[in-house]
Amino acid sequence: MNQNLSRRKFLQLTGGTALAATLLAACQPAAPAPNPSEGAQPATQRVEVEFLGMPGSPDLIPEEQNIFHEENPGIEWLLVEQAEGTSRLEQLTTLVAAGTPPDASRIESDVYRTFAHLGLLLPITDYIENDPEFSKPDYWIQPQENDRQLYQGDSYGIGSCWVAPHFYYNVQLFEELGMEPPSNDPDETWSWEQFLEIATELTVDANGHHPGQPDFDATAVERWGVDWPTWWIPLHAAVQSNGSDWVDNTSGLIVLDNPEAMDAIQRIADLRFVHGVAPQSQALEALGMGGAQLLETKKVALIVDGSWALSWLWEIEGGVGTGALPKMTRPGTDMQAHLVTMVRDTADPDAAWELIRFLASPWYQERYCRSGLWLPSQTALMNDVAIADWCASPQHPTGYDLIVTKYTPEYGHYLTMPVGYVKAAETALQPVFDQIFNGEVQVADVLPAAVAEANQIMETEQQRPTA
Amino acid sequence: MAAVTRPMKQPWHRTLRARRTLIGYMFISPFILGFFLFFVGPALVAAWLTMYDWNMIQRPFYIGLGNFHKLIEDDLFYQSLKVTAYYSLVSVPVSLVISFIVALLMNFKARGISVFRTVYYLPSVVPAVANAVLWSFVFNTEFGLLNALLDMLGISKIAWLQDPQWAMPALILMSLWALGASMVIYLAGLQGIPESLYEAAEIDGAGRWASLIHVTIPLMSPVIFYNLIIGIIASFQVFTTGFLITNGGPQNATLFYVLYTYRTALQYFDMGYASLLAWVLFFLILSLTLLVFKYIGRLVYYEDVG
Repeated sequence: MNQNLSRRKFLQLTGGTALAATLLAACQPAAPAPNPSEGAQPATQRVEVEFLGMPGSPDLIPEEQNIFHEENPGIEWLLVEQAEGTSRLEQLTTLVAAGTPPDASRIESDVYRTFAHLGLLLPITDYIENDPEFSKPDYWIQPQENDRQLYQGDSYGIGSCWVAPHFYYNVQLFEELGMEPPSNDPDETWSWEQFLEIATELTVDANGHHPGQPDFDATAVERWGVDWPTWWIPLHAAVQSNGSDWVDNTSGLIVLDNPEAMDAIQRIADLRFVHGVAPQSQALEALGMGGAQLLETKKVALIVDGSWALSWLWEIEGGVGTGALPKMTRPGTDMQAHLVTMVRDTADPDAAWELIRFLASPWYQERYCRSGLWLPSQTALMNDVAIADWCASPQHPTGYDLIVTKYTPEYGHYLTMPVGYVKAAETALQPVFDQIFNGEVQVADVLPAAVAEANQIMETEQQRPTA
Repeated sequence: MAAVTRPMKQPWHRTLRARRTLIGYMFISPFILGFFLFFVGPALVAAWLTMYDWNMIQRPFYIGLGNFHKLIEDDLFYQSLKVTAYYSLVSVPVSLVISFIVALLMNFKARGISVFRTVYYLPSVVPAVANAVLWSFVFNTEFGLLNALLDMLGISKIAWLQDPQWAMPALILMSLWALGASMVIYLAGLQGIPESLYEAAEIDGAGRWASLIHVTIPLMSPVIFYNLIIGIIASFQVFTTGFLITNGGPQNATLFYVLYTYRTALQYFDMGYASLLAWVLFFLILSLTLLVFKYIGRLVYYEDVG
């Protein structure tokens, strides 16, 4: 085969290539004409701020982005959505490892201190102290806000809101039974003994017998008195109501081995295995039977769930009521929520701060408080005028303002999770909780050793190299 | 004397053979590239990381044999190995036998058999998450289908997913539901056995059982062996069921090896140690596969195709 190119062939080829290039160039979209009105705002001044995770509800975010862009024309809020089949935590660490971290991120409270310790988060203390609003001493509910924000004297994030567990019940059921429901006022909450008595009366088998009666059939329960889930938020609420702590803020150690904490956890286990007034929570959770189904079917009379559940429970048939949890020795509950943080290596910390500030503003928080999803962390949303507005929305039952203004801020405690907590809890505490809530062991027999192991794990994690 | 001119040899890259080789490589290049980029590359990086403490946030920190020492002292490493070995030892043989029996049944020339084949295969294409939700319902202690059946038989409720004694049997039971994939492979093998062999066996006086033992099983042994190898490898890589249904519990009774590796890497931020766990798993599977080839492979009957 002759590999030489004839002159004619060469001319044909070059001519064809030139024609094709000309046609392609002609098909290119025309460059936009310069807009005189944009002269004052060159495109290069618009800073992009990537935020990982949904700060609120997906359906409301486009509107929030528009408002943010109107208020901050020089900043573009880009939402890095959670990749399908991936947890936000996995996505964040992967983005960081790949060298493409977002500028700001939603961080759950269980890893907040770990990430601050590892240097993933930038301290924002100066921004807060120099902010005309956030620097006011009574801007946030205290001391809980400081408890969650401060790690070794610095703030690395701002909590989006608060959430707290409390009772929910079906109003219609209590009316049918002619029984007094729990009060939202923590000063009038049931004692533990009163609660057990009421839960026993509410629990009934197919033949109308109650636990403790000779003919009670535990295998054919028609309605349980209470569902008190056994994951850490409802358990921490119980521990607090017995005057104890989960983690000691001073030492940073897990202190669930103190007698009051163990007693509180044992009482929760006893609801099922001694008093027979509670179903096995894991069984209900695994069934996907949420609070709405339990209350609507009247299968359970009282459920303990987070305040966020109000955003869907308010619609249940029969109407939903709420109440403060019973006190073992004092009223108590857990306060928790995710934080909005600034990630290291952000190109423009000032722009990232503007977004964090926007997400922590009263306007932003109020939207989600109104829907029943959040409780406020800002005192501006807790005065009479503000409460009369957002807490009067149909999502909130009568008297819920006491949960917002009294029960949560006065009796709520933040569970500080130290560096390495996730590994310690999952490795050492969870297997023991499995045993306890399966009715195999007594708390006092197994928890002290598990707590010692958990503290040892946290210590080891804290000593891992970070340089 | 006239000079003899030898034909000039073309350079190799201009030969037909060279062009064919090049085209061949181009066709397989997607796999080759993927293999190096997504398997060999990460595997080598993981091998390097075994000597480092890397939290994925800061630079890896050299710790020498630190991860190896940790491995020796790590109770959860042994627990996850034990859990995975238990799952593998029970689920693989049971699955092999049951799927083979189902394939034999599906091989009958009966009316509507294709409908049954479809029905048995369907669970294999159900997404893992949907499977997990479905079986959570079945195993539910209070309202589950399985406990309802036991109740009808007068047997008391079993806390399938809460009792450490029962959690693993429950997950093994669940794994059997998706045996359609291996059933289809068996079925393809069964349909490749020449009818003449059965006719010859019948003439020799063999009944159905004798035909099964002396014709079907020997001829199916390469397929059975294939399913055994694939089953062993897959059983050591189980993750989804333990993650979605029991999250490793209760009391780490379903803490599969890969689930523990995942936790170590992405929840405990210890990618160096997780890399070591991954390499240990690789060598474990490799060793098991070689052992199976050596001791069971010799039992496989290959027809003389020469």
